[in-house]
Parts: sequence; C-alpha cells; structure tokens
Amino acid sequence: MFTAGNRFLDARGIVFLVVLIGAAIVVPALALLPKNAALHMPTYLVALFGKYLCFALLALALDLVWGYCGVLSLGHGAFFALGGYAMGMYLMRQIGSRGVYANPNLPDFMVFLNWKELPWTWWGFSAFSYAMLMVLLIPGLLAFCFGWFAFRSRVTGVYLSIITQAMTYALLLAFFRNDMGFGGNNGLTDFKDILGFNVQADATRAVLFSISAIMLALAYLMARGIVVSKFGKVLIAIRDAESRTRFIGYRVENYKLLVFVVSAMMAGVAGALYVPQVGIINPGEFSPANSIEAVIWVAVGGRGTLVGAALGAVVVNFAKTWFTGALPEFWLFALGLIFILVTLFLPKGILGACGEWMGKWRKPSAPRGNGEPAIAE
Amino acid sequence: MPGPDRLMSMNARARSCFRIMASALAAFMLIFSMPVAARADAVDEILARFATDRFPDTEKAIGDLAASGHPTAPVILEALAGNRLLFSPGTRQTYIGVEGASALDAKTGAKAGDVEIDSLKKVRLNNAVRAALQAAQGALGLMSPDPVKRRMAAEAVLKARDPAQRAGVEAALAAEKDPKIREVFTEARAALIALDPEAADAQKLEAIDAIRGRGDRESVSLLSAISGANKDRVKAAADDARAAILARQALWSHVQNIWYGMSLGSVLLLAAIGLAITFGVMGVINMAHGEMVMIGAYTTFVVQEVIRARYPGLLDYSLLFAVPLAFLFTGGVGVVVERTIIRFLYGRPLETLLATFGLSLILQQAVRTMFGANNREVSAPAFMSGSFEFGGLAITSGRMWIIVFAIVVFALLQLLLKATPFGLRMRAVTQNRRMASAMGIDTNRVDALAFGLGSGIAGVAGVALSQIDNVSPNLGQSYIIDSFMVVVFGGVGNLWGTLVAALTLGVANKFLEPFAGAVLGKIALLVFIILFIQKRPRGLFALKGRAVEA
Amino acid sequence: MTPTESAPALTSSLLYLDGVCVSFDGYKALRGLSLTLAPGEMRAIIGPNGAGKTTMMDIITGKTKPDEGEVLFAGSTDLTKLDEVAIAELGIGRKFQKPTVFESHTVEDNLLLALKAPRSTWATLFGKPVADQRARIERILETTRLQDFRLKRAADLSHGQKQWLEIGMLLAQDPKLLLVDEPVAGMTDAETAQTAILLREIAKDHSVVVVEHDMTFVRDLGVKVTVLHEGAVLAEGPLDVVSADPRVIEVYLGR
Ligand SMILES: Nc1ncnc2c1ncn2[C@@H]1O[C@H](COP(=O)(O)OP(=O)(O)O)[C@@H](O)[C@H]1O
Ligand SMILES: [Mg+2]
Repeated sequence: MFTAGNRFLDARGIVFLVVLIGAAIVVPALALLPKNAALHMPTYLVALFGKYLCFALLALALDLVWGYCGVLSLGHGAFFALGGYAMGMYLMRQIGSRGVYANPNLPDFMVFLNWKELPWTWWGFSAFSYAMLMVLLIPGLLAFCFGWFAFRSRVTGVYLSIITQAMTYALLLAFFRNDMGFGGNNGLTDFKDILGFNVQADATRAVLFSISAIMLALAYLMARGIVVSKFGKVLIAIRDAESRTRFIGYRVENYKLLVFVVSAMMAGVAGALYVPQVGIINPGEFSPANSIEAVIWVAVGGRGTLVGAALGAVVVNFAKTWFTGALPEFWLFALGLIFILVTLFLPKGILGACGEWMGKWRKPSAPRGNGEPAIAE
Repeated sequence: MPGPDRLMSMNARARSCFRIMASALAAFMLIFSMPVAARADAVDEILARFATDRFPDTEKAIGDLAASGHPTAPVILEALAGNRLLFSPGTRQTYIGVEGASALDAKTGAKAGDVEIDSLKKVRLNNAVRAALQAAQGALGLMSPDPVKRRMAAEAVLKARDPAQRAGVEAALAAEKDPKIREVFTEARAALIALDPEAADAQKLEAIDAIRGRGDRESVSLLSAISGANKDRVKAAADDARAAILARQALWSHVQNIWYGMSLGSVLLLAAIGLAITFGVMGVINMAHGEMVMIGAYTTFVVQEVIRARYPGLLDYSLLFAVPLAFLFTGGVGVVVERTIIRFLYGRPLETLLATFGLSLILQQAVRTMFGANNREVSAPAFMSGSFEFGGLAITSGRMWIIVFAIVVFALLQLLLKATPFGLRMRAVTQNRRMASAMGIDTNRVDALAFGLGSGIAGVAGVALSQIDNVSPNLGQSYIIDSFMVVVFGGVGNLWGTLVAALTLGVANKFLEPFAGAVLGKIALLVFIILFIQKRPRGLFALKGRAVEA
Repeated sequence: MTPTESAPALTSSLLYLDGVCVSFDGYKALRGLSLTLAPGEMRAIIGPNGAGKTTMMDIITGKTKPDEGEVLFAGSTDLTKLDEVAIAELGIGRKFQKPTVFESHTVEDNLLLALKAPRSTWATLFGKPVADQRARIERILETTRLQDFRLKRAADLSHGQKQWLEIGMLLAQDPKLLLVDEPVAGMTDAETAQTAILLREIAKDHSVVVVEHDMTFVRDLGVKVTVLHEGAVLAEGPLDVVSADPRVIEVYLGR
C-alpha cells in the first residue's frame, strides 16, 4: 500500500456500509411490524426512503465520472431514465390481460393507439432476465456510443456538459412522442406485479428497499475498488491535468470511456430500482433539470468522495420532501440557494468541509477548488 | 349581427348606387331589375314557396329571389344561410328571425309584431339548397357597393363554377372600376368560359391564360377540372398551365420556408446573442440566461400595463419604451449577479454553470411568486399585427419586425464591440486579463459591464419574444438549450458565427419539419450538433491558438 | 569534454527534424527548422522568447502538427503521423515549461503514474505495483531529493520541488529521449546548480534536449548548443563558439 488514503475501505466507507446494511435489515423489519405497533413504518415511508437510495446510487455514479474524472455529465438523468424504462417495460408486460383493455399481448396504450402487434423494441421484455440485461446494456451502449465520439474528439469541460445536456433533451423530446412506442406523454404505469409479487404490497416494498440498499452498497464497493486502484489514480490525473496524462502515455479517451460506461450502467440500475418503488416512469425523467439536480446532490455531499455523493442525494431530497410538504412555494428558492451557496462557500461539499474542520482525515483524492484541468504548455 | 335599421340603410345606399351606375348596368338590369309593380306580387309568390319547406321549392325560390332584385333579397338569403329564415306553417308568411328580438317580416324588413316566434319553423337546408344559395349570394354580391363583398362574391363564383352566373359576372365586369377586382372578375369569367362546352377554343385558351396568371391553389384545381372537361389543345394548355403553376408554387414554398427559417433564426439569434457575449467572449456559462430573457419579457408586460393605465394614448408605442427599460433593468440584474456570484467563480466554468442554474431557479420562482404561474398577455402594437403578401410569400408583420429587430441588435452590438473604447477594453480583458490590468484597465468594472451587457441584450430579446411566445415564468427554459446550441455551433467568441449558426439552424429546422415533423426535426438537429462538435469542438468559426486552449 | 563525445557515434540520428514549418493564424512560429540529435547526446537549446523552442517540443511530442517538414524518430518513425500517446509510448518524455504535476496526488503517486508500466485500462484496473517498481520509485525519490516529501500532495510542494518532481516523473518513464523545457526557471542559484548535476546524471544513459535561458546553467551543462531565432536555427556549436557569433550576440546575448 502506498498511502493511507488508498486503503480499500476507510473509516468513512465502513460507516457507510454499516449504515446501509443496517437499513437493509431494520427498515423491512419495521415495515412488516403489525400496523398498530409503535414502531411500525408506513409503506409510503419505505417507498420514500427507497427512492432516496436510488437517487443516492445515481449520485454515486455521477461522482465517479465528475468527482474523479472531471467529466461533468448533465445527462446522467438519461441513463437513469433508460434503466427505468427497461424495468418499466418488464412491469408493463407483467400486467398481461389485466389492463383496462384486457389485451393479453399489448399494453393498454398500444391498444389505445390502435396498434396491432408489439413493436420489436418490446420483444423479450416479458422475461425478467432479459429486462435486467437491458437495464445495464441500454444505458451502457448509449454511454459507449456517446463517449466513443466525444472523448475521442477531445470534447471536454463545459462543451461536454452542454452536449450531454443536449443528449438528454433530445431523448426527452423523443420519448414524448407516441409513435416511439414507450407510452408517450404518460409513460408507463399501473404496474401490477414484479416476479409474481404484487408491487403495491408492503412486503414487496420492503424487499425492494433492501435490494436498493444492497445495490448501493455493492456499487459503492465497486466504485471504491475503481478509485483506489491505479486506474483510479489515472482518473484523478486526467481530472487535474488531462494533456499531461496523455504525454506520459495514457490513452485518456479509453479511461474516460470505461468509467463513463460503468457510471451509466450504475445510473441505469438506479433507475430500474426507482420505477417499481414510485410506480411510474415518464419522459419527465429525461428533463435536463433533473440531471443538473443530481449534480448538485454530488456537490452538496462533496464530490470525489463517493460517500459524500450518496449523502448529498439523501440530504437534498430529504429537504425537498420537507419543503414540498411544509413550504411548497419556497422549495425552488431553497434549491437555487443550495446551488449558489454550495458552489461559492462549500466547494468540497459537506464531507470535505467536515474533514477540514476536524482536520482528521487526509484526503489525497479531494479535488482542488479548480475542477478544470491545468493547462499544459 | 347587424340590426334591422342598419340593414335597411345599407340597402338604401345600395339603391342609390344602382342609380349612379345605371348606364353601365343595362345588361344586368335585364335579369335583376323588374318593374316595381310587377315585382311585388312575384316576390310574395316566391316567398310563399319558401314556406312549403320542400327542398326543390326552396332551391327554386332562391334563384328567383336573387333574380327578382328585391331590396331585401340579400338579407333574406343571408338569413337562410344562417338558418334564421322562418315561416309560419299556418299563414305561409316568411319571417327573418332576429336574436333577442321578435321576427322581421321577410318582404319588408319591418318588425312583425303580431306573430308568436315560437310558432314559426325554420326553413331547412340541404346540400343542393346550400349550393344554390351560395351561387345566388355570389350573384347578388357581384353588384354589392362594398368592394370587399364584390371581391368575395367574385371568388365565390370562381369556386362554384356555376355556368348560370356567367351573365352576372360579365355584367359586373363591365361595371367594375377597381383594377384588382376586375382581375378577379376576369378570372371568374375565364373559369366559366373554359368549362363551357359551347365556348370556342380560342376563347378557352385565353381564359386558361387568365387563370394561369392567378397561380394559386384554387387555380390548380380549376385547371384540373378544365383539363378534365376539354380535349386536345385546350386540355394540353390547361395541363401546361397547371404544371407551371405547381412549379412556381414549389419554388415559392421553398422561399417561404427560407423566410420561416429566417424568422426562427432571428428568434434564435436574439436569444443566443447575449449568451454569445457572456459565454463566447467572457467564457462564463450563464444558465440563467433564459431567465434574463424572461425578465425582459415581463418588463415589457409591466411597461405595457403602466402605459395602459396611465397613458393609454401611447399604448401603440409601449414596445419603444420597453426596449430600453428591459435593457437597463436586466442589465442591472446582470451586473448585480456578476458582482455577487459570478466574479468569485472566474476560471471555474463548471461551478459557474451550477451556480447560475441555481440562480435561474430562484429567478423563475421569484417571477412566479410576483406575477403568478399563468401566461401574461402582451398585446402587439398595430404596426406589428396583420400580414401582407409579397409575391407568393405570406409575411406576418410581427415576424418581419422581429427579423429587422434582430439585425439591428446584432449590428449595434458589433459596433459596440468593434468601435467603442468599452468594446476595446472588453476584448483586451478577455484576451489577456493580467496584461489588460497592468495597462490600467479596471478589469472588475469591465467584467461587470460585459456581463451586464450580455444580460441586457437577453432582456431586449425578451421584449421581442414577448410578441411571439407566452410570457410565463418558463419562457426562458425553452430557449436556453437552443441558445447554447447556437453559440457552440457558431463557435465561441465570434458573433458572426452566432449569426450564421442561428440562421442555419433556423432554416434547417424549417426544411426538416415537412419531412420529419417538428419534434423529429429538432431531435435531428440536436444530434447533428452533438456530432458536429465532435468534428469541430470549437464550432464553425473557431478562434485558434493558445489563447483558447484553456 | 561532454559525456556524449566519448560515446561511439552511430550512423543514424535519434531525432531528425528537417524543414519544419508551422503557423498559427498566419503567424509563422517555425520557419524551416532543421535539427538532428545523435543517440545518447544531450543538447541545449537557447533563443529569445518566442523563438519557437516550446513549439518545437510541441511538434516532437505530437501536440502540434507541422504544416510541412519531416520529423523522424530513431531513424524511421514518422512522428507527424502519431498522437501524443503513441509518441510517449515510443519513448519520448517531456517536461513542460510551466510545471505540471498531478496536484492532488502525492509525490509517490505522481511517480507511480509516470513509472514505465503497461498503460492499458485493464492493467491499471487489476495490476498491483510490484516490488521492483517500488524500488525504482525509491531510487527516483532519492535522485530528486524528495524522499521526505513522498506522502505530501504535489500541490503543497515548492516551485523548485515541483520542477524536480517533474524531472523525476520523466526519469520514471525511462524514455529514450527527454525533452526538458526551462527546468530551472524560478529556481534559486543553489537549486539551479543541483538541477544541472541532476541533468548530467540523467544524460549518462539518456538522450536529452534542454531548453534554457539561464546561461550559467547552460555553461554548467557543458554540451553542444543550438540557437533558435524566429523559428529557425541561427547557430550551432559549443557554447563558447556560439556566444562569440556576432549574429547571436545581436539577437540574443547582446543588448
Ligand atoms: N498554439 C499556439 N497558438 C498561437 N500561437 C502560438 C501557439 N504556440 C506558439 N505560438 C506562438 O509561436 C511563437 C513561438 O512560441 P514558443 O515556441 O512558445 O517560443 P519560446 O518557447 O521559444 O519562447 C510565439 O509567438 C507564440 O505566441
Ligand atoms: Mg517556451
């Protein structure tokens, strides 16, 4: 081992994993207590926390590319949504003839559009394994194609951010169209069951929550494995001085591409877990604002820390839940202020600031204030 | 609905007109003007036929009524068309129903006080009756004193292609003075001649020429009909003329597309040009740019409301006041934003992006809180409403003024940057901040003013956009991505690039729309730009060199 | 006597530039630059600011493509056809004029990244540093006098230390040819003298091109000197001869 900061699991990581595993056990236990027990956790709370975990996973994925590699993607919401649609399509196929039109072969919206047969894009989605493969493959493939071109032609910095935003915007427009065959405006909803279990049932919700927590833990371990490896050091090198990294012989585009694809797949998994828990997926998930919001979760928690990203997602979304309940008018003010204050006064996020105040943890991997590559002359 | 008095006075005017044109009307009189005495009974008889309420009777009665030249004939026919011609099944009297009032006597147009309106029945219509009605109204309208009505009547004849109207058209043509309307009469007459099996070929060929000169969609279908009804020479000529018109229409539709594209392009240019300054010249990513546009639009709204309340006479000029005020106000907002947020983030574009996105949320919500979430009405001044034709081009004045406005804004901005000391200082700072500062330029001031300038221009764009888009808190969001695309496509730091990019994207969009539909066209362009940036990461007109490599 | 002169002369040169021209927005930064470097040779390049020294290095390392001219490495490899990474893989290392190290990495990690080792994503993802590599890092830390700073973040180093770290990274790459741009800019006299010693050490088993303004330093190096002016070679030879050349005095040394 070279430096202390490179240990596979540091104190922060261990706490994070313990909390996740704890939650994966305790929350379902509380949810399945009898309804009148003092500690019973209502289903809506389980679903809400489950949603937070999905967002945390998305934030973790984003942190991997932004925090470590300096690639600010404003289109990660698209990967999230694609994963969500893949899961949504599976859930739609499970409805079978229980839809309003009771058509055994076609989802309701297709019957409504007078379609006669299932479009090829939907083939195979009645099999869970195929759908799960697509959850990984479709976001991964999009990220691969996009990154292949973008990184090879050395589109960096804000240009990259802007075209990732254009990407998700284009998908937003596309998915709004009815003839795309993904439910248009309304998206996919009215799900009945998943792997034979009723999606609405308390037990299913509880299990989905646990799976989300476990997936987040696994994703964390994987991301952590990546960043502490030499590969991770190269990523940080690219973030700090991209052209210098090239001059010492690293194929920067391959590094970026690989981490971008991995991150997109993680986002896809997050989306796939999200859909059964909220019960709907629609084109709104592609909206560019959603992707930017995910970026701010990472910034709030502290980029380049993984744990911080997940923390930020939970904190911001908790605030959102609270505000929309108590002061709905003010949520956008608050969110806007978070954006501004964090960038101005908390560039390293909550975790970075805590670390600094306590002077306890050394952070060889924390970014400098300047996320842009230094200019090599 | 015109009241009965107005109707009568209109007819009075019509009659005086008849007298003035008497000499030219000789031919017409033969059909329309019967001796007054003879007329009275005839009209009673005609009106009684409406009361049988059998379609063949009604149809016949319509033609006879029009031919009778009875003063209330137009009113009766209009009432019939509007389903307001009533009859009493008992007395066989005919009445005209008037909203809110009782019925009028059809023959005299006077109030019919003694009938129960509920006891009256409507004269029914079917398609044959409607056709007859249209033809009859056309014939009556041909002699109307109102030029607009005459023109409409002539167009109706052209559409109806009823040979029975030929005499009427010829009479009207002889009487007509207005050259524009004469043209339509000539074309209407030509249509009837060309379809007349009796007419001579030479006459028909002449007629086809006249129709060819008209060159619109109606003439295409007319020529198809002529081609179907004729043989040999005439048929060939009709086909020729039709093909020529179609070719010309295709050409004009391209020109029209270019015009629409330029119109869209000018909107894009207006929206993007402020961004070209803040992003292109200063390197600052301002995600709240769209909100600056929105604030400009709301400024227009407020200015208009104030003027409406205080100085209603100036309402047509409210945009003239709104432009400078929007510039100053949004510019001021821009300066404040630069001083409080942006300046701490120079050299950190990604952070700037996030902070300004936060700002955009705040501005949107602030406007929503102040003005509500609904659309606000901004009315167009007289000179910007309406439309006109230019060749085969339909031009709405509003769009045209926006193009002009965009060009003016662009030119002024170029002038400001290239020919004023401020522009010089601004370029100096953007090229080499430290050097400029060493030369005694107050870089802070320049930064603040440059950002203010970019924002101010966005505000001015908002004034223009308030004319064509909904003024709502979401106005800005719909433009921000397009604006970035324009700036990135055009090349950073180059206003000409922005201009070319905006127009290219605008025109490309309008040409893609017919094939792909609006949404797919837009997606295609987005994908195109994403790919284009891969090829030329610095845009169409990129600056080269070390200065931009950071 | 320089170390290179005692080495057996090879027939073909290691680096061969002929008639290289490049212009930026109409400004001709290089106008027919020609230069050859023998294997094992160390060469100092001097010239006024803007003479094109850094641009020459940009050309060799693939950062800039020449408009015309030939750039050959090891006799036959055409460098103009390759990108930065391929050129680095060939064994050409570079130290930039403005020191660029990986600021948020430790000194040790900086060296680890530069260390000659497989560069593929696969190798970095799953490979582990082997003992031999650690030993090499130790040696380089020693050579560059950075042992005591090994765990320090590069951002926290002094300017001179960063320059050394960058030279250390060059050594770690173990390239056939080192291009060193203004290594002593901003150093104290003592640091400058030490850097000269360090470079002479390195030159024992590497070919080196050093760009420098500092005449004392160039004298300390004691190698053949090439003078660039306005994008072309003005003079070439031992420092004493070159610095006596009236044209050189006029454009560079004199005043
Ligand atoms: N990428 C570039 N873009 C524009 N000009 C450049 C670029 N690179 C070098 N130059 C110009 O070429 C000339 C030579 O520069 P350089 O090679 O840095 O000189 P030196 O290193 O000898 O001081 C300078 O005038 C510089 O401005
Ligand atoms: Mg130089």
